Amino acid sequence: MLRLLPYRDLAWELVLRDLRVRYRRSVIGLAWSLLQPLLMMLVLHVAFSAIFRFEVDNYPVYALAGILFWNFFSQSIVHSMNALKGNAGLIQRLPVPKAVFPVAAVLSGVVNFGLALIPLFAILVATGHRLEPALLFLPVAIAIAALFTLGAGLLLSPLAVFFSDTVELIGVLLQLAMFLTPIFYPMKIVPEPFLALVRFNPIRSILEVFRDPIYYGKIPPLSHLAVASGLAIALFALGAWVFARSSRRINFYL
Amino acid sequence: MPALRLDSVSLCYRLARQRPPSLKEYAIHWVKGSLTYEQLWAVRDLSLTVTKGESVGIVGRNGAGKSTLLKMVAGVLPPTRGRCAVRGSVAPILALGTGFDHELTGRENVYLNALLLGRRRREIDRSYDEIVDFAELGAFIDSPLRTYSSGMVARLGFAIATGWRPDLLILDEVMGVGDSAFTVKCEKRLEAYRAAGTTVLLVSHSAPAVENGCTRCVWIDQGRLVADGDPKEVLGAYLASLGSPAAAG
Repeated sequence: MLRLLPYRDLAWELVLRDLRVRYRRSVIGLAWSLLQPLLMMLVLHVAFSAIFRFEVDNYPVYALAGILFWNFFSQSIVHSMNALKGNAGLIQRLPVPKAVFPVAAVLSGVVNFGLALIPLFAILVATGHRLEPALLFLPVAIAIAALFTLGAGLLLSPLAVFFSDTVELIGVLLQLAMFLTPIFYPMKIVPEPFLALVRFNPIRSILEVFRDPIYYGKIPPLSHLAVASGLAIALFALGAWVFARSSRRINFYL
Repeated sequence: MPALRLDSVSLCYRLARQRPPSLKEYAIHWVKGSLTYEQLWAVRDLSLTVTKGESVGIVGRNGAGKSTLLKMVAGVLPPTRGRCAVRGSVAPILALGTGFDHELTGRENVYLNALLLGRRRREIDRSYDEIVDFAELGAFIDSPLRTYSSGMVARLGFAIATGWRPDLLILDEVMGVGDSAFTVKCEKRLEAYRAAGTTVLLVSHSAPAVENGCTRCVWIDQGRLVADGDPKEVLGAYLASLGSPAAAG
C-alpha cells in the first residue's frame, strides 16, 4: 500500500478519466446518474407505501439515503473487480502498483457519491425535512464507507482475475446482501428469524452511520461509530493483506 | 554496489492443462482431482551482476527467456525463486506505446503515460515541452492518438519513457523506431545517458546494435546463461550456434 504514495497523481488521473468516460460529452450522462436514484426512490415509495403498507416517516429520505449508499458500495466493488482485468495490458508491461486500479475505482465512486448528495439535499428541502448541523458529519461517514468499500474491493478484485465468473457471482451475492440490509425497509418490519442476520450485517452498521445524520439529524452514537470504524479498518486491513498476498500471482493470470 | 544483481533467479509459468476459467469449472476439476499443471521454466537459476554504467546486450533465440528476464528486472513479474535487486530508478520499455489511450490527444497521453511510469504531475509539467520536442510531433500533439502514424506513436512512446534519465534503462527490441534520423537521435540520447551513468539492458536481434552499442553481451538459451562477456566473442559464438550468421537477421 505504501508503494502507492508516489503514484497518487496517477490515481487521481484515473479517477478523472473514469468520470470523463462516465459523463462523456453529455449532460444526460451526469443528469442520469443523479436522476436514477431519484426514480428508484419514487418506485420504492409507491411500492412500499401503497403495496406493502408500512409506515416510515418521510420514507423518500430514508430510502434515498439507503439507495445512494448502496449504489456507491455495490458499484465500487464491481468496478474494482473489473479494474485489474481492464488494465491487464498495463500491468503486464509496467511496474505500476496494481492496487492503484481498485483504489481509483473506489475513489471515483466517492466522487459520484458526493455528487449524488445534491439531489438528496433537494429532496430534504422539498419534503420539509429539517437540515441539522449533523449533516456536516457526512464527510466522516463517507470516509468510513469508502474505507470499508475499498477493503471489499481489494479483497475481491484478485478473485476476478483468477476466475472470470466471480463478477457475476458477486453480483448475485450483492443482491442478497442488499435484501439483508435495511435500505428500503425499516428494521421494525424484519421478521424474527431474519432479525439477527440483518442486525449483525456489517454493511448495516456502515450504512446507519451515513444515514443517521441525514434521516434523524443527529450524529451517530459513539458506540455505533466505533463499531463502524472498527469494521472498516478490519475489512481494509484484510483486503490489503489478501491483495498483497495474491499480487504475485495476478500477473501470471491476467 | 552493483546496479543490478540477479541471484540464481528462476521463473516458472504454471500453465494449467485445463485452465479453469471459471470458479465453477475450478470446483469441478478440484473435486475430481483432475487439476494438473504444466510447468514452464522460462528462466532457470540465472545469476548476473551488472555494474553501474555497463550496457548489456542480451541475445538468444525466440523463447530463450530474454523478455521474461527483462520483465523480472523491470519488476513486472516476480521471480519464482532467487532474488532480483535493482539499485535506483528503472525505466522499462518492454513495448512502445504501452498505456496509450488512442482516443486521447498526444498531450493527454504524455501525462497519462508518464504518470503510469510513476512520475508526479509537477515533474511532467516541467518536462512536457522537451518530450513533445523530442518526439517531433509539433501541432499533432493536440490531435487524438488514433490519427497518428505508427512511427509517431512509437516516437512519442520513446520520448516519454526516456524523458527522465533512469539509473537502469530496459529496452526490449525497441530501438530503431521511426526514421533513421530519429534513430540517430535516440542513440544520441542513450549515449548521453550512459555517459551520465545509466546502466542499459537491451534485448535485440540485431547483431550490429549489440556489438556497437553494448559493452557486454549475455547469451541465454532455454532460460540458462550460456555465455557472458565481450560482445564480439559472445555474439560470434551465438551466431555460429545458429548455423549461419544470416539466421540472426
